[in-house]
Amino acid sequence: MSSSTIATKKPPSDQTDMFVQLTLGWHVITTLAGLGGLAYIWVTPGFSIWIQLATTVALLILSGGSVAAVMWIARREHRGRMASLLVNYLGFILSVIGSLHVLGIFLGIDQLANTFSRGVIWLFIMFLGYVVGTIGDRFEGTATQRQFHTAGRWIAIISFVIFLFRVGLLEGLQGIFNNLVDPIAMTLVAGILIFGFFCWVMWRRPTADLFGVTNTQTEMLNGYLFLTPNLIGFLIFFAGPLVFSLYVSFTNWDAFGTQDWVGLDNYTKLLNIDFAVLDAPDQRANEILDVTIYDELGRFNLFGRSYIVGAADKLFWISIWNTLKFAVMAVPLSVIPALLLANLLNSKLPGMKFFRAVYFLPSVAAVVGIALVWQWLYNSTVGYINYGITSLVNLINMFGASVTDPEIRWLSNTDTALLSVAIMTAWRLIGFNTVLFLAGLQNIPKVLYEAATVDGANEYQQFRNVTVPLLAPTTFFVMITTVVTAMQVFEDIFIVMPGQNPAGPGNSTLTMVLYLYQKGFQRFEQGYASAIAWVLFLVIFAATLLQFQRQRRGSGAYD
Amino acid sequence: MIKSYSFSQFLKNSAVYLILSVFAFFMLFPFLFMLATSFKTPKDTFNYPPRLLPRDAVTIELEGQEEPVPLYFVDYEGQQEEFALVQEGVRIGVFASPDNLDETFDRPITEATAVGGFVNQEKIEINGEELPVWEIEVDGEPVEVVQVGQTAFGRFIDPENPEREVLQNARLSTPVETFGFHPSNYEDVIDLQNMDRSLTNTILVTLGVVFGVLFTSVLGGYAFARLKFPGRDQLFVVYLGTIMIPFVVLITPMYQLMVWIGWVDKIASLIFPWIFSAYGTFLMRQFFITIPKEVEEAALIDGASRLQILTRIFLPASTPALATLTTFMFLYAWNSFFWPLVVINTGNYQNHVLTLSLNVLRGRASDSPNLILAGAAIAILPPMIIFILGQRFFVESATSSAVKG
Repeated sequence: MSSSTIATKKPPSDQTDMFVQLTLGWHVITTLAGLGGLAYIWVTPGFSIWIQLATTVALLILSGGSVAAVMWIARREHRGRMASLLVNYLGFILSVIGSLHVLGIFLGIDQLANTFSRGVIWLFIMFLGYVVGTIGDRFEGTATQRQFHTAGRWIAIISFVIFLFRVGLLEGLQGIFNNLVDPIAMTLVAGILIFGFFCWVMWRRPTADLFGVTNTQTEMLNGYLFLTPNLIGFLIFFAGPLVFSLYVSFTNWDAFGTQDWVGLDNYTKLLNIDFAVLDAPDQRANEILDVTIYDELGRFNLFGRSYIVGAADKLFWISIWNTLKFAVMAVPLSVIPALLLANLLNSKLPGMKFFRAVYFLPSVAAVVGIALVWQWLYNSTVGYINYGITSLVNLINMFGASVTDPEIRWLSNTDTALLSVAIMTAWRLIGFNTVLFLAGLQNIPKVLYEAATVDGANEYQQFRNVTVPLLAPTTFFVMITTVVTAMQVFEDIFIVMPGQNPAGPGNSTLTMVLYLYQKGFQRFEQGYASAIAWVLFLVIFAATLLQFQRQRRGSGAYD
Repeated sequence: MIKSYSFSQFLKNSAVYLILSVFAFFMLFPFLFMLATSFKTPKDTFNYPPRLLPRDAVTIELEGQEEPVPLYFVDYEGQQEEFALVQEGVRIGVFASPDNLDETFDRPITEATAVGGFVNQEKIEINGEELPVWEIEVDGEPVEVVQVGQTAFGRFIDPENPEREVLQNARLSTPVETFGFHPSNYEDVIDLQNMDRSLTNTILVTLGVVFGVLFTSVLGGYAFARLKFPGRDQLFVVYLGTIMIPFVVLITPMYQLMVWIGWVDKIASLIFPWIFSAYGTFLMRQFFITIPKEVEEAALIDGASRLQILTRIFLPASTPALATLTTFMFLYAWNSFFWPLVVINTGNYQNHVLTLSLNVLRGRASDSPNLILAGAAIAILPPMIIFILGQRFFVESATSSAVKG
């Protein structure tokens, strides 16, 4: 113990000292480079304001961090090491991402897809190597286990190398080298090497000791290091777009270059509705509404007076209405059967795992595939659903009733189109909800049922007074996820509606996400589409909040 | 008393199994329908009443016929026999006696002879209309009739004895059929819609997303679970909050981002934006937090680095969580449709994933459900097979989102 303590207290080697001096020099350079870059970006005309701002922020971090690093490293303070690590690490990451981009590695995946099928068999053999290795675990602690592990590892490594060559490692490397002659690429690769080197210098144990690092500081640096890959993605592909989405919703952004700030115009157009009192229920809309702005949305009768409602964006209100209608239909259809099935599955009879697996099957299948299948099941002439109904009607009529075959044209009828989709969506959600309910049921202590039985409660009373209240958290979760899923319905409708007309007959299946898609990616009014997205988010949020409140009130009764 | 109890228990259990089986039938039927239809001929798919198993029309080689001719069930002298359809569109006159227009006789036009010759054929007035009079044979007796309609029949002959011949409506006749599976539908749909390439793309995207998410989530989850650093808890709350935000809010800016960095129509756009998952990070963090701290501290004292602790201690212990996350991301990547639809949008078929190919296919092959459903089967079966092999993890991935969330 004492010897190791002495070893760490050993004065830093000359090498470490030299490295630190080198770093000091490097940060003088980065400071100057940062300031030079700042001057360049503000003096040279032709950069857009966004690029100027972004680059300024980056360069300020660079030069500021570098100045701090220089000052503190000279005084051998630990925060100097941290500042240096920050600058070098950020530089390293940006260089890596930039190189990957400039060298065409991201886009090279398209080429990989060309050749991937040639090598996929070797990938499979690599997996077999892993299997061989795990077989060795049956001979725990013997030489055989080691032999199996070695054999498995070699099979995996060799087949992976063959895989790489089969899918065109050489061609890929050649392409990368060809791209390297580009000066930007060379700079970036040089950036990787230099920033990487100084990261390593500063990260090393001897350097850390030189600066008198504490355990807390090491843990902190490790924390940021481990989180970086995640955080970068989070910022680039989530937080950034989220903020940007809000910005876009205040512009008239389209895909063709227009991007002017329009303030709240998108929202006011979306939400703008107008009520008017009609003189007579059949009065024409243009006599009473400003038809240059409003389209007639509907009429209603209240206390003997007729009203007319006009909306600036009629389709949007239709889509909200359809979305709510869809949720109201699909949620009970998928939650109530799931609750029933979960209670039955919880009965501990043999074979329950089989049924659970069967119910879960639709949850693993692609929605697109499912919708294609249902499209043919719903076919009004040869589909199985109508055939089933016809058979049922014939069966009933055999007993003397005279029921007429409804011959429903499921997907092409205004009244049934949305219901058809809701049935299909409910069908594919039932299994997932069943599994959730089942997990919730299995968490309810058996003792409670036993106590209830002793008290003479029958099965319905047990269900009502034990299962329902104790299952409330699960029910709440199931309701929330199902409502959120239902309100974002898109794929189901987009695929199942025939004839490339997902909005359905008379816009009866036009939901909010579908409307967003049509606006944003068929007419490319992306600013407007972003506004729709935020309204949708608020609607979903409100629905969730409403359930939270009901849940709170509900649980209060049993506390 | 005990006997009656067990009997009621038996009844109850039977009811349970009955209800479960009925639901199981409804859950399985669409998949059975998909598989069965994917082996049918296009004509067979439009048969009414619908039949589950694929059937083929039976054909027979006949002398004098270039191609094999189909067999049909026909009534010949009161007996049902299998005759071959040798000629279609035989013109048939529908004749009736002027005295009794309701009783009609179907005869080939060529078998009717004009009464009084073709040049000045006799005519008779019926309902204010002059109709020519013909003579046909009914039960061996010549009868004078008028033509009240015409149609086209098929000529069916007995393959054994071509003399025996029947004329009847071919469309309404029942063809002789056997069970016949057509796996070639799968080859056809692969050729038609480039499905092998989309399958490759889908596999590539799925592998990329799954491994990417595992990598970032394990590192991030470990940092959130076990490493203290300023801002950690606030950041974690932000991560949690984002799980609630629906993807559609991000879709326009993400598309813009892809336009800027030139990833529109590229497979990269299907992989890299999706390898950072707040949900995955959360899942891994929740699991790592349950691993006892003592193990880690012992390793730290022995001089192990954090990365070593993560790979040697945490990863081997968290197989269930890793498997759960893998299945979850696998399903997500394999089945995703909205984002690919938006970002691979200029008809670059080379970079289509399976779901996109299906979307195109449904328009292109709208008259051949057999092909469409073969395509759907190609997309649906791989996850299903994996599900059957690793059922436990799928179910866990579902429940973990609820119980722990």
